Amino acid sequence: MIGFSALKSGALAAAVGLAALSAPAIAQNVIRVGVLVPISGPASYFGVQGKEGVALALEQINRGNGINGIKLDVQFEDSACSPLQATNTVKRVLEQFKPHIVVGEECSDASLAIAPILEQAKVPMLNAGSAANQLTESGYKYVFRIFPNAAQQGVPLGRNAYTKLGARTAVLLHVKTNAGVDNADGFAKEFEAAGGKILARIDFAQDVNDFTPIATRIAALGKVDVLPTFALEGQQVRLSQALAQARVVKGGGGTGIQMGSIWLPWGFEAKAGQASQGYIRIVQFDPTEKRKMVTDFIDAFRAKYGADKTPTHINAHAYDTMLLIAEAVRRGARDSESIRDRFSKMRDVEVTTGKITFDAKGQNSDMSVIHFVETQADLSWKGLNW
Amino acid sequence: MSDFLALILQQSINGIYLGCLYVLVALGLTLIYGVMNQINFAHADFVTVGAFAAFFSATRLFTKWMGMSDGTGYVLSIFMALAAGALLGLLVNAAVFAPLRNRSDELRPLIATIGVSVLLENAQLILFGPIPFQFDSPFAQNTIRFGKIFFSEQSVLVVIVAALAIGGLYSFMKFTFLGKALRAVSQDRETAGLMGINENFLIALTIVIASALAGMAGALLGPVIVLTPFAGASVIVKAFAIVIIGGFGNMEGTIIAGILVGIIEAFTVQYLGSGVIDLVVFVLLLFMLVVKPTGLIAERREENV
Amino acid sequence: MSRRVADALSRPVRWPAFLGALVVIALLPMVLGTPYWRGILVVCAMNVLLAMSLNLVIGYTGQLSLGQSGFFAIGAYVTTVLLKSYGWNFWLAGVAAVLAAGLVGLLLAAFAARLRGHYLGIASLGFAVIVYQILINWESVTKGVRGIYGIMPPPPIRLPGLPEISFGNQATLFYLVAGIALCVYVILDNLVRSPIGETLRAIREDEISAASLGVNGARWKAFSFGVSAAIAGLAGCFYPGFVGTLVPDAFGIVESFTMLAMVIVGGMGTMIGPVIGAVVLTFLPEVLRGFGDFRLIVYGLALTLVVLFMPGGILQAWQILTARLRGTEASESTGGGR
Repeated sequence: MIGFSALKSGALAAAVGLAALSAPAIAQNVIRVGVLVPISGPASYFGVQGKEGVALALEQINRGNGINGIKLDVQFEDSACSPLQATNTVKRVLEQFKPHIVVGEECSDASLAIAPILEQAKVPMLNAGSAANQLTESGYKYVFRIFPNAAQQGVPLGRNAYTKLGARTAVLLHVKTNAGVDNADGFAKEFEAAGGKILARIDFAQDVNDFTPIATRIAALGKVDVLPTFALEGQQVRLSQALAQARVVKGGGGTGIQMGSIWLPWGFEAKAGQASQGYIRIVQFDPTEKRKMVTDFIDAFRAKYGADKTPTHINAHAYDTMLLIAEAVRRGARDSESIRDRFSKMRDVEVTTGKITFDAKGQNSDMSVIHFVETQADLSWKGLNW
Repeated sequence: MSDFLALILQQSINGIYLGCLYVLVALGLTLIYGVMNQINFAHADFVTVGAFAAFFSATRLFTKWMGMSDGTGYVLSIFMALAAGALLGLLVNAAVFAPLRNRSDELRPLIATIGVSVLLENAQLILFGPIPFQFDSPFAQNTIRFGKIFFSEQSVLVVIVAALAIGGLYSFMKFTFLGKALRAVSQDRETAGLMGINENFLIALTIVIASALAGMAGALLGPVIVLTPFAGASVIVKAFAIVIIGGFGNMEGTIIAGILVGIIEAFTVQYLGSGVIDLVVFVLLLFMLVVKPTGLIAERREENV
Repeated sequence: MSRRVADALSRPVRWPAFLGALVVIALLPMVLGTPYWRGILVVCAMNVLLAMSLNLVIGYTGQLSLGQSGFFAIGAYVTTVLLKSYGWNFWLAGVAAVLAAGLVGLLLAAFAARLRGHYLGIASLGFAVIVYQILINWESVTKGVRGIYGIMPPPPIRLPGLPEISFGNQATLFYLVAGIALCVYVILDNLVRSPIGETLRAIREDEISAASLGVNGARWKAFSFGVSAAIAGLAGCFYPGFVGTLVPDAFGIVESFTMLAMVIVGGMGTMIGPVIGAVVLTFLPEVLRGFGDFRLIVYGLALTLVVLFMPGGILQAWQILTARLRGTEASESTGGGR
């Protein structure tokens, strides 16, 4: 019986913890925003940057009188990029913080896991980091996404590779995650439909470090026109360097052109060095853009986090989520239902990563700011006007 | 040379280089097992700590503050990583292995080092953040080419350092009094006691050497891996496999197995796809355990099999 | 063998403890009455099953297994694939999943017959890695890294004359999993007190002398591995319906080590120890959320300190403490493991 009494006292301790943690102050004139980001584990790469963007926006929005007297109250929670942790965390946030809206998650797996829970709770979910198409293709009414989905990323790459670059052969490189597979599929479908040929599709786990064997294999395939690559910054730097060393891509004196998506942050070229020369990629958040919204954001970001820092697209997307919520409040939203309503009616709302117009599925359909750039010999960008 | 032969040769070179990196990580594991019959689960994090120690000394201390060239700075940083690993080993021995030292108990030190691993990983996360550091060894970007065959200067450095480390460790075990005592302890504790050597000292020494090796491996892996607080974890599972394939506690076996796994990895990427590397390595591991459970090189330790 | 198993299963149940446990299980979802805490309770009940399953192999048979996450994964995936792709009934799919996990456990036992100590540990770890890799690469069946979504909780039970029992509610799902865990506890408790338990312990203490007494080590190790794997598979049946989402990453090797930690922290080789370990290690990360970014540092430290200062696990430390309070020596009967 000792064991059972221990079990009981454990439950009691947990209950005491529960009482201490629950019951947030119900304040008027506050819109509560639950932010679910991975703060532990390797995916904290996203969480740390997301927090920076949200914190900056929050500071600006809540300054003085807030939004006509209304302020945003944000609570960060670690959802660890995992479906189990994210579902537990979202339940916790829903009952203890009672948010009017939830922002998150970064990883597609976790976002797809929490979407049905928020849908059932009738709390809008604003996503700014998951690419899996399914998130906005499942018929959810409360899910909104400002991040371009995999089709919006992969398809233009495939089309332009064929039409603008005249590419006929491609080797697909992608990390083996939900978003990586979806992006690669988008490219392959478009490129093959146009008449291009995929010579090889090489996927790799997130813990692969040395890409020399992969580069060697590609070098042995003969001439490859384009190498669309979908992986995060850390692996991409190593991958580009290996491809250059094997003389596959332009950066190493080869003829292949590496292509990439918005996954890469500003500063990638400086890290990859000469290997990134000739790399063509989609940019959504462009720190060199002269739009006032962008320059103001960069100035404020540097003032808060250090003059040597340049915000990444992850910082910018997180910042934009807060701007959008503030905009909904400015348009009269006061609870979950009205936030959802204002979101669904938004047309051409300007944020740092472009303009937001949600389609019937909750996906931002305005991709006017997305543009292609090519890395020059001095590692600067040249706009391609595609 | 035909294209096919060039490809085979190139992938073999890639594999040997990769294998040498694995050997450096696995040697420490096998050493601790050989002497103490214990697994240090935090070994991967020692590698990461070594990589960060090398990164900060190579890119800040030696170059920016002391004005050395990048090349000298990097080579010296390998010793800093070695020292960082040794220091960490000393601490973990004092905190975990020494208090739990009891030969028949293999589980508690394992769990305690899992705790240490979680602790180290997350402490580094707080200190350094999750965004990858760009650790460029001046040797990594210089490529040596013979016709179609290529390899970086860094890979030459890795092979040289691995050879030196193996040679040094081997002569230490074979020719010095302490080394002989270590081997005695690994076979029979009481005999070692009769040799008049303090067993606690020998065990501390083993852990310090193993940890220093892990730190050094970190310095050499730093410019290859994606340097985050989670970097070491990406090689450790393979290191476990290598230690087993080579025969737990058997140095020669570990070296051969490490290089073999590197080569297998390169050829798996070439002919099967990089997505199945772990599958191939671990199927090989289970196959080895069925066919030759003592590892590649036959071993004396009957009790394990 | 079958006669001895039947004998073990027909032993009397310890009713007072059983009824006490029933009361605790009945009360828990009322004490922790919100969806979040009830969700944690469901996870806790699954972890209790997993810790008990691993304890049978490690604590009672003395075989180091680091592959338990593989059996957990087999349970989860077999259930879900049969349910979603082949339209099976959940309960039938669950039975198939338990059998599948048990059979694969027997396969691993073939290794256990030849290997000991860390060799077996790493072999079983390799097994878990292989299962994980198969989940990722066998895309036509498992959907690979894309994962399976929209998995429903177990279907409602309709019994004539009784109101329908639906498992969409976390409390009923907890009652289901915890009830099953309690039954498994009772069965295992009887098993380890029976001659079978003695046989397993004999193998644990010294396999060679056990063999000289006529114990067929390989056969009983296979029994232990098979039962253990089946229980882990049973825990896996409930995972997908609870989370609603199934991805291979949920079954990384880290999960195996967490299960091992539950067994050691609670008290290996005792029945209640791993239960305590599972409860503590499920609730600890949640209770530590107040530490924010330092949460996992504290968790790692706590894990190390428990092992250092409570070598027999929490159970033994508790026994020593209560014995001291009573002014007597700790009882030797339930000292943890080897």
